[in-house]
Amino acid sequence: MPTSIYLSNPVVTVNSVSLTDQCTAASFLQRYDQLEDTAFGTGSRTYTSGLGNHELTLTLYMSYAATETYATLKDLVGTTTTVIVKPTSAVDSATNPGFTLTQTFLAELPVINASLGELSSIDITFVGGVYSTDTTNP
Amino acid sequence: MTYKILNPRIGTPGDEYIPRPGVNIDALLNAGFIVEIASPTSEHKPAIVKKKKPAKD
Repeated sequence: MPTSIYLSNPVVTVNSVSLTDQCTAASFLQRYDQLEDTAFGTGSRTYTSGLGNHELTLTLYMSYAATETYATLKDLVGTTTTVIVKPTSAVDSATNPGFTLTQTFLAELPVINASLGELSSIDITFVGGVYSTDTTNP
Repeated sequence: MTYKILNPRIGTPGDEYIPRPGVNIDALLNAGFIVEIASPTSEHKPAIVKKKKPAKD
């Protein structure tokens, strides 16, 4: 039974910038609003798809060094961008799709998340945007 | 507009950066990941100064 164990392979790209080496968790949710279309004469509730409402949550080490986490994200807050997460660093394919959100919105950025004696890390969430999977381009 | 990659987080430094749809270019420029390079067509040519002929007496 094939399963996935994530060690160092997933690739995380935010606004074209690879943050793979700063990322420790990624949760990409493909989701559509659930609209009920049950009518008289049916014995069970039924639903249809509404608007897409996708979401990507990343856990990142916070670094304020040049071209690291903060520098990458600080100008994206309150704007839209493109994010991509791939299961492995191999080229895009049907078995290694590049899950993509285009024009996804970053509403907030925790600029400080500090605890004594611990590496600083933050959780950020991109919401909305157009969902697609890239299976052909590298 | 054309852009050049400055940081390996984007790609190979020195290569041309071709943005994907939806990418925030201003954020990449501000953080120093890329730099804008002038396209050959947008270069300003030096103005040609015509020399005035000396007035004839």
